[in-house]
Amino acid sequence: MLHNRMAQFLLLYGVALTGLLGLKYGLGLSDYIIPPFLEIYRTGLDVTPRYVAHVLNTLSIAILGHAISLVLAFAMGMLAAGKSAIAALVKTAAYHVQSYPIVAVAPIIFILLGDGLLSRLIISVLICYFPLLLTVMGVLSEPIEDIEHFYRMTGHISWGLQVRVRMFENIGNLTTVAVGSATMAMVGTIVSEFIASNAGIGYSIRVALYQSDMAKIIIALLWIGIATSLYLILVEWIGNLIHRRMAA
Amino acid sequence: MPIIRCHHLHYRYPEGDNLLFENLAFEIREPGFHAIFGHSGTGKTTLARMIAGELGGFEGDLVIEGAKRVLYTHNMERLPGWADVGELLQVVTPAIARKQLDRLIETFGLQGCLRSRFARLSLGQKNRVNLARYLVQPFDMLIMDESLANVDETTRSSIVTEIKSIFPDRCFLYISHNMIEVSRYCREIVVIRSPKKQPQAVCLTGLDASSTDIVGPSAGLERVLLEIVHVT
Repeated sequence: MLHNRMAQFLLLYGVALTGLLGLKYGLGLSDYIIPPFLEIYRTGLDVTPRYVAHVLNTLSIAILGHAISLVLAFAMGMLAAGKSAIAALVKTAAYHVQSYPIVAVAPIIFILLGDGLLSRLIISVLICYFPLLLTVMGVLSEPIEDIEHFYRMTGHISWGLQVRVRMFENIGNLTTVAVGSATMAMVGTIVSEFIASNAGIGYSIRVALYQSDMAKIIIALLWIGIATSLYLILVEWIGNLIHRRMAA
Repeated sequence: MPIIRCHHLHYRYPEGDNLLFENLAFEIREPGFHAIFGHSGTGKTTLARMIAGELGGFEGDLVIEGAKRVLYTHNMERLPGWADVGELLQVVTPAIARKQLDRLIETFGLQGCLRSRFARLSLGQKNRVNLARYLVQPFDMLIMDESLANVDETTRSSIVTEIKSIFPDRCFLYISHNMIEVSRYCREIVVIRSPKKQPQAVCLTGLDASSTDIVGPSAGLERVLLEIVHVT
């Protein structure tokens, strides 16, 4: 798993970098727009210690944001699983809110809370949370008729049992979605840092953008990719563990 | 007072053009092991779900007077996969019915399945486990929709006779495509036909056998079989 995902990312990164350099030499673009490979390499050696620290900073926020999103999404998903008025309200609200681009409200969060850790965390959670919530809600609202029928007929059904049955039957889907949302948490954190923060790899990319330093951006992308791959591997491993234990 | 009184029942599926039931009428007058019989697509399951109160939207009278608690089980049901079969059966069995569960486990030949997960059982074992958990619930009427499908004939016969001996005062509606079994073990047989044939439901009297002793063909069995063939 580790080798596969990392190898896939490095291969993709290599192909993209080669394509970029091919574009540079093919179209005769200046070193100012796309730096030569040697300059990218030298920049890499220069900024890597700093960028690794920045990526780890971003990753820590993403992991925290992802964990909060998962807890919130499952809690709200369970609340929306029933047929009560609250459940209907949660569903309707979630469908409407998720259709709005969350990034657009990021400036309001920064104005209200400043550019510290909390703003980054909130934006990361918001970007990750709604797609996750919709999936969890979808899964928990769908009856598993061939199992639930007996409990409903005999009066043994309860909200807790219903949620348990649906979660157990969809554990594969739920872990896949949890893994998928890890990327969104990383994206959310980087976007928030890019917009207004003063820390993290997103902030470093923004600085590099203002300096028009393509080499730094390319190196930042390398470390973002490596960190995201490692995190996805970890989440996939946890997902597989849960899946195996529940199916045992 | 009949247990089920069905008069002038009309029904069409919400998405369908043709009537499934047209002026359907029948009565189940007393407790016992009865059958709903008919070709595929004649509406046996739909009727069963109507009797169990799972399906509405029909016109006419369908009155369940002699059975307060009606349960409906079918052969596609599953048990959850988070525990073994024995544990799941214990959880849903009322304390008063524990001994009955033990007896059913023995009669149904389920001793070997109790430590397995439901998904690992054969189709026949799954159906027997599912039926056993319904039988230990409090009920007045149990509708068994293909509940013994995929169970071998000998075991099926002993299960049916055992059910009849344990629950003589309850009402069972057995839906099966096995004409011999229905003729041999059921008391009243409601044959559902195409709505083009009127009356759509024909009530016949089965042999209502209480033991598995009748092995070969008999004049009585032949008569019931011929009657069913004739009306369908």
